[in-house]
Amino acid sequence: MAPKKPEQKKEPVKVSPEPVKDSPEPELANEPNFDPHIIKIDFTVDQIEEFKEAFQLFDRTLQNQMKVSFSQCGDVMRALGQNPTNTEVLRVLGRPKPEDMDSKLVDFETFLPMLQHVAHSKDQGTYEDFVEGLRVFDKEGNGTVMGAELRHVLVTLGERMTEAEVDKLLAGQEDPNGCINYEAFVKHILSG
Amino acid sequence: MVLLFFFALLHNCDLLYYICCVSFPLFALLHAAVTTLRAAVLIQRWYRQYVARTETRRRYTWHIFQSIEYSGEQAQIKLYNFLGYLMDNFTPSSNERNLISHIFRENEVCRDAEWERYFCYKNIEVPEIYSGPHLTFPLTVEQTVGLVEAFRNKKQLHSRYVLQLLLETWKQLRMLPNINRISTCQSKEITICGDLHGQLEDLLLIFYKNGMPCLEKPYVFNGDFVDRGKDSIEILIILFSFLLVYPSDVYLNRGNHEDHIVNLRYGFTKEVLTKYKMHGKRILKLLQKIFSWLPLATVIDQKVLVLHGGISDVTDLSILARLDRHNYVSALRPPKKRHKSSAGMSIDSEMDEDILAANKLCQRRISLAYPKAFGERESFQNRSLQDFSDRIKGNAVDELESRMRKQSIYNSGTISSEKNITASVSSDSINSDNPNDEWKQVLDLLWSDPMPQDGCTPNEVRGGGCYWGPDITEDFLNKHNLQLIIRSHECKQDGYEFCHNRKVLTLFSASNYYDVGSNRGAYVKLGPDLVPYLIQYQASSMTRELTVRQSVGRTERSALKVLREQLFAHKSDLVCAFKKFDSENTGLVSVTDWATAVESVMFLGLPWRMLRCQLVTSKIIDGMIDYNEWFSELNIKGSNTDHIDQSLLETLYRHRSTLETIFRIVDTDNSGFITIEDFRQTWKLLSVYLKMEITDEAISDLAVTIDSNQDGSIDIDEFMEAFRLTDKKSRLERGRSMFMGTASDLTKLEGDPNI
Repeated sequence: MAPKKPEQKKEPVKVSPEPVKDSPEPELANEPNFDPHIIKIDFTVDQIEEFKEAFQLFDRTLQNQMKVSFSQCGDVMRALGQNPTNTEVLRVLGRPKPEDMDSKLVDFETFLPMLQHVAHSKDQGTYEDFVEGLRVFDKEGNGTVMGAELRHVLVTLGERMTEAEVDKLLAGQEDPNGCINYEAFVKHILSG
Repeated sequence: MVLLFFFALLHNCDLLYYICCVSFPLFALLHAAVTTLRAAVLIQRWYRQYVARTETRRRYTWHIFQSIEYSGEQAQIKLYNFLGYLMDNFTPSSNERNLISHIFRENEVCRDAEWERYFCYKNIEVPEIYSGPHLTFPLTVEQTVGLVEAFRNKKQLHSRYVLQLLLETWKQLRMLPNINRISTCQSKEITICGDLHGQLEDLLLIFYKNGMPCLEKPYVFNGDFVDRGKDSIEILIILFSFLLVYPSDVYLNRGNHEDHIVNLRYGFTKEVLTKYKMHGKRILKLLQKIFSWLPLATVIDQKVLVLHGGISDVTDLSILARLDRHNYVSALRPPKKRHKSSAGMSIDSEMDEDILAANKLCQRRISLAYPKAFGERESFQNRSLQDFSDRIKGNAVDELESRMRKQSIYNSGTISSEKNITASVSSDSINSDNPNDEWKQVLDLLWSDPMPQDGCTPNEVRGGGCYWGPDITEDFLNKHNLQLIIRSHECKQDGYEFCHNRKVLTLFSASNYYDVGSNRGAYVKLGPDLVPYLIQYQASSMTRELTVRQSVGRTERSALKVLREQLFAHKSDLVCAFKKFDSENTGLVSVTDWATAVESVMFLGLPWRMLRCQLVTSKIIDGMIDYNEWFSELNIKGSNTDHIDQSLLETLYRHRSTLETIFRIVDTDNSGFITIEDFRQTWKLLSVYLKMEITDEAISDLAVTIDSNQDGSIDIDEFMEAFRLTDKKSRLERGRSMFMGTASDLTKLEGDPNI
């Protein structure tokens, strides 16, 4: 077991992030740009009113101009129960330049089709998906993973998190040996 | 190594699967890699959603606390306006008028000698068993540091020393100008602190992190030292002591809470009377004078203006510099009439009943009179203090007096800049002589808030001062050749916030203000480069142990609790509003209608739909809410309240703070008791204010609840306790913190007979 571990650990480090990021959804690169006009809104009026409230909560302009910055769009969608990746968010925003993220604003009418599109997306992630994924790290097959390894993966793979974010996520989950019972962990994070 | 290769190929699925088909064992490894990646992305995605949701909860929790806080302030001012109205419109002999007249009466004693006699501490004995600090004057640094330590160890300063200290402070403050001007020369960094609100822990934390005030470490404290927290008097004692010991290194600006009217509602009055049973009243009286003598603002290096609330479109530093700030014992009412002694020093003049009667006409004109009878709620809101200053006309007597006042400033040798002297010499300045223009200057300074849009509008949320915009800031800074305004007055999540293109900095130094974990506090250091350097902190060891999720959750729960109480207290109005949407009387309303109705009654501007699932736990069928069921869910019963009329009970809950404030006003000797008769009168007052019918019988029922010993007097505290809604005292209502061990601290002191 011991010799195998370092080898497995090594490869995530060496891989360049670019190709890896796109790999879970390789179809992304080939799809046309997001077109809000073809989106059909099937939210109810009540739902839309509720979305407006959340939108207002993040409204940068205060005094009810009802606009949020590009960089906040993802958060507003998540606040409304959606679960997009950052890539998906950037896509519905029309792949804006990094410098536009904080300065450009979006009003509610523009935001709504984006939200609808994201809501239609299929891959929401279930308990089994999480557990399956984490099981890969379960070397001893005993229902636990090493916190350190999980940290490493989250910081280096996919849509990478910062060390501080991972600390917050794993707060209180590791036992004295640094192990995490991943089924309990998944239950914890899904209870949100 | 092999896996490296396959990871690199992952972006190209075709090639990937071709190879997989060729090589089965590799496929297994690949599968693992793909799954890992998928899991990583899933977890990351989930995490980001969790963060966004937590942020949302934090935001609306904040919103709840803040809107309730501000509507409380507004209620306070409305109450005050109402009392003013009564003063003007009741005949002199009526009982109601007597009941509240003393709050509007001028200070009774006036000549210095008489004041000294009244505040004399010399015959107060300090007994042997007193274990608190002893003070000798002139105060030394060691004694001041000793005071800080003593308070850290929960000691209380004896009333003798408190009075002595306050007298010295009063003397010191009278020498100070309205606007302090200081500099960062000699490479001194100036530390500026915002609202403290009686939270001693935060002050101690600041001293710990930054060091105590001293020659090399000047401090500016920007108002609101008292109210809400439980150690307001201790904070004052510390600040005043440092002021006495380092007079050129400690600067205090007045805040809107340095005002005895506001203190009646927000806990400071109560704190002093509780901690100082024998001499509390005198201490409060002396503090009234001290508050009025607190300087209004501080200017650093002629470039940075530090003041508590803010500015308006008419704010003028030269007017502020030369007015008589001590005329404004409470910023909520216009200045009193003054008589000058031959020495040229302006002093209070004694007003016995005859003079009072003769001046009644004048008084009526300059008091906060309503032009018409009570309107609906909307016009109450519109009846801001700005309206009154417009209505008031100056007369010849005012003109003469204001000229004499300017003269006396000149003679008394108050420190003033060249600008002030030239301004006061010219007799052509018209508007600035009007005492009510001056009043507005002070009011705006203490109560205003910045807003994002341009312009200047009355601050109707608070009921006093203005909302001012970035254009006003720009004009003001240019006019006075300044570069930055540092103000406080508003609680901020991070302890501070820049606005108006970083030209205005809001600084708030009371951490965990709304609840444990609600916000950080901050202070600013300003060096010769005048670039603000901000330090944040959060008091209470409890906070560090809670994770972010726990502290947001906790704050959220307490905000929702407060909100539920408010909703319950407005039950009648809400039922009316619901019935408007429920014409067929089914008892059901749609979610949308529910939200609209609630907002139309509560006026809090909250995201009701988002909050609905937390506020309405009963099932929603077909998108309809059963509002009767909802009320029974909200229903909170007090212990002995079954015999009391429901609507009266509701009034009690809704207007608790107002009621308590009125009681304390009525309790003229601050004994904590009022007679049954006064109790009855108070309720009559309240019924007029609320436009409600309250029968004598109903009032008797209330009285019976409390007057257990049947001696004809009501214990105010007991009465308020009986109608308390929650077990934990709401911070917003009672001016005490929820988690800082309040009750036990007070019992410790109450047992001490020597204070």
